[in-house]
Parts: sequence; structure tokens; C-alpha cells
Amino acid sequence: MMSATASHGGVMMLPSPSGALQHQRPPTVTGSDMFRVRRKEPRGLRLVVAATAKYKGTKMREEKLSEMIEEKVKEATEVCEADVRSEECKVAWDEVEEVSQARADLRIKLKFLNQDPLESFCQENPETDECRIYED
Amino acid sequence: MAVSTIYSTQALNSTHFLTSSPSSSTSKQVFFYRRHQSQTNRRFNTIITCAAQQTVVIGLAADSGCGKSTFMRRLTSVFGGAAEPPKGGNPDSNTLISDMTTVICLDDYHSLDRTGRKEKGVTALDPRANDFDLMYEQVKALKSGIAVEKPIYNHVTGLLDAPELIQPPKILVIEGLHPMFDERVRELLDFSIYLDISNEVKFAWKIQRDMAERGHSLESIKASIEARKPDFDAFIDPQKQYADAVIEVLPTQLIPDDNEGKVLRVRLIMKEGVKYFSPVYLFDEGSTISWIPCGRKLTCSYPGIKFNYEPDTYFDHEVSVLEMDGQFDRLDELIYVESHLSNLSSKFYGEVTQQMLKHADFPGSNNGTGLFQTIVGLKIRDLYEQLIANKATAPAEAAKA
Repeated sequence: MMSATASHGGVMMLPSPSGALQHQRPPTVTGSDMFRVRRKEPRGLRLVVAATAKYKGTKMREEKLSEMIEEKVKEATEVCEADVRSEECKVAWDEVEEVSQARADLRIKLKFLNQDPLESFCQENPETDECRIYED
Repeated sequence: MAVSTIYSTQALNSTHFLTSSPSSSTSKQVFFYRRHQSQTNRRFNTIITCAAQQTVVIGLAADSGCGKSTFMRRLTSVFGGAAEPPKGGNPDSNTLISDMTTVICLDDYHSLDRTGRKEKGVTALDPRANDFDLMYEQVKALKSGIAVEKPIYNHVTGLLDAPELIQPPKILVIEGLHPMFDERVRELLDFSIYLDISNEVKFAWKIQRDMAERGHSLESIKASIEARKPDFDAFIDPQKQYADAVIEVLPTQLIPDDNEGKVLRVRLIMKEGVKYFSPVYLFDEGSTISWIPCGRKLTCSYPGIKFNYEPDTYFDHEVSVLEMDGQFDRLDELIYVESHLSNLSSKFYGEVTQQMLKHADFPGSNNGTGLFQTIVGLKIRDLYEQLIANKATAPAEAAKA
């Protein structure tokens, strides 16, 4: 990772996304504040803030995709027992790939891009069940 | 060769058709010049608007369909602005929109949804699962400045959802498994990129991607790659011969027996003779150079960095290949390397480094994948600006004639 502080997964340019983290640090005055502070951050806490869904609907999609991966891997393993070169076997593993990639895409969006896919939908429709803010 | 469609306007008295000069045949251009204005014709006005649109179309081929969110972010950030899903639309839309660019996922052109593919026994890689006629029509329309209602393939449900309206952008990127498969679509592309991941690296990446999922194991990941390989080799891989730039990702040669796939050797294969595209080079264009920047002036940590540059042949085309093996550890290594590369199409010294820093947290930021993706972004910007400049002068010349 490109980082002057060599902190794992460090984002050195962007400000901290959560106000809650501010309370953890003792007040410091210098300009290199951001760098020094990031090193002290408890890593687990920052990952939770950056990588989880904001809306219930997104959390549900994450879980659904994870379940589907499990199901489809089982299915593919069974189908391929008969003939590993059959069309059914190819299609079954292709489905696994499709769902695995969809799951990874969602993770990337949340973690690196900080975009919850439901963001703009929920701005327009805040009352729907999907748009309830997800609480852990 | 691009085909120009000429709209006839019998309602007008005298109209001249001036078509673009043969040199700018990559995108269509129809220019109307009226001597007498008889009556306002709505259709005529619409055509004038079309003629002003200069959509540049870029194709990006990669195995994991439209997952290249970080690649796209790098590409679009060269133009400024963040690429985001369309506001207020289907939350499962695969489209990304920024000020200058719109990125379309070609999975949206699946003719068969997940159930349909299962019934017919075809994978998503198979051309039979995709509607190339629709793909061609819509890319052509967008290129001519006409908005389209594009279908949405929902990766969560595996169904085809209601279409979304796509406005013609300045730069259209079509990303997916088959951007260069259909010849007609290929003709519409102003520039094309193929992301070629070697089998070992693919395996390592998919392990990183999937091992955290409770459904997966080493065996399932391996089986999935193996099962898709025949279709991949038959339908996707051959597209690389058509690409203007191929980014090849291989395991490093700096660490013996490395199989973690963390240190990478990345090759940027650039076709020679492509209009508006001048390949990046090291020190002396067209020569063969091997360069290790780490030494007295620059200290690198293990395993260091090694560059290579040479002319070569790729599928009967002449190409220039710039290769980077190893990792960047510090900012000054990146700046040092940038200062020795030529023809980057950057607008100021350090622009590549600045772009890399913007996305320092993205995967590949410390190796050739991030570096070459960023450079390709600058090349696309350069191509776009040249195309626009060229179009601006062409009508002026035609009017003089």
C-alpha cells in the first residue's frame, strides 16, 4: 500500500468518515495530525465504519448474495459429480462465479467507494422498509 | 470502417450534404448547410443537434464482467468528477455516470437471464446468451447523440429488469465480456482495452476475493475457474487481438516460486499506428531497455522494481511493450519512475503520481496495474481531446470548399 505511515490499508488523504472516531484521540495540534492519528486508530473499528451497509436493503442484499453463493456451490458440486464436462456443470459454476462477483462488487462499493447502492433511491423514498438505517 | 447514415429532408428546398473527410472516419459526422430556410422542420433541427455530438466510445474487456469499479474510477477521475450510479433509478443498475463519462455494463445485453441460460445450457460467456444486434444498435445510437432505453440485467436476482434511459455522454465506456466480439460494435470503438489476467494471478485474486465467503473453499474456487475456462478461451480470450492496448497481469519474476500473487509483473502492450494514440516509452522510442530504478539515487525495499521496454509483435501487429515488475513502497519511487517515462500525455509533471495518490487505497495502487490503468486514462483523455479538435476543424474546412 502506498502510504508514508505504512499503516495497513491506510487512507492517508481522506478525512475520517465518522465523528465517533474523533473521541478516541487526545487533541493534537500539528499539521501532521491526520497521519499520526491514523496510526493509533484501532483498526477493527475503522474497518467496520468503512465497510458496512448503511441501509437495511443493502444489508439484505449482502446476506442474500452470501446465501446464494453457498447454495450454488453445493448445487454445482452435485451437478458436476455426474459429468464434470457437461453443460450443466459449466453453467452451474458460471452461476457461482456470477454471484461471487456480485458479492465482491458490493463489498468494493461499500469499502473503497463508500457508496451504498441504495443511497439515491433512499433519498427519494426514506420511509420504505429497505431504507431503514442499518444498526448492528 | 464506420457507416454514415444520411437523413433525407425532402421538405426543404435547397440543402447541401457535406460528409466528413475520409481521415476522420472513426465516428460519423453529417453536416447540413441550408441556403434557404423554407419552413422549420423539427426533424431537421434534431439532426443538427446530432451533428454536434461527439461521443467517443471506449471498449474495455475483462473476465469478471463489470466488476472493474476501481479501474473505472481511475479512468473517469482523469476527467474529473466521480462516477456514480444513476440517481433515483433501479438500485441494481450497473451503469456509472460522471460529468464526462457514462460506463455501461455489457451484461445488460444478455438475451437470456439466469434461468434462461440454465435451460439452454449456456454460460454468460457464450455469445448465444447475448443480444449483439441490440448492443450494436444502442451503442451506435449513443454515438450519434441519441438517447436509448437500455435494459438492465440484475446480478442479484438474475433477471432482466425494466430499461433505464441513457443520455448520450461525451465519453461512453462499454465494459464487459464481449465489447470486441461483434465486428460491427468493434467498428464503433475509438479505443479498446483488454485486461488479460494470467491463470495464476486469476486464481490468487479469486482466492482473495472469495475465501471470506462461507460457501467457498479452495476446491470450489478452483473448480469454478476450470469449468469456465473452455468458454473463456473460446469466446473471450480471442478478443485481445483486436485491442489497442492490452494490460497483461502475470506473477512476478523477482521472487522465485512466488505464488501469492501479491507482487505482480504487469505489461502494457500498446498497438502501433493507432490514430490519436502514441505509446508510452522509456528513454528511447523503439529501442529495447531494461531498467532498475533502485540504486544510488533511489532506495527501494524488497523485491524492488524492474522496468522493461521493447518493440514486439502481437498477433501480427507491431506493438510497444512497457513492463513493470515489483511494487512501489513510497511516493518518491513513483515520482522518480514517472519522471523517466516519456509520452505519458500528462498535462503537468507529476500528474500520474497525483492520480495514483488520489486512489491510494484502491487495489493495485502500488504496482503496474494501478500505474498502467492511470496511464491508459491519460491516453484516453488525449485521444478524446484530439478527436474533438479534429472534428472542430473539419466542418470549417468543408465550408470553405
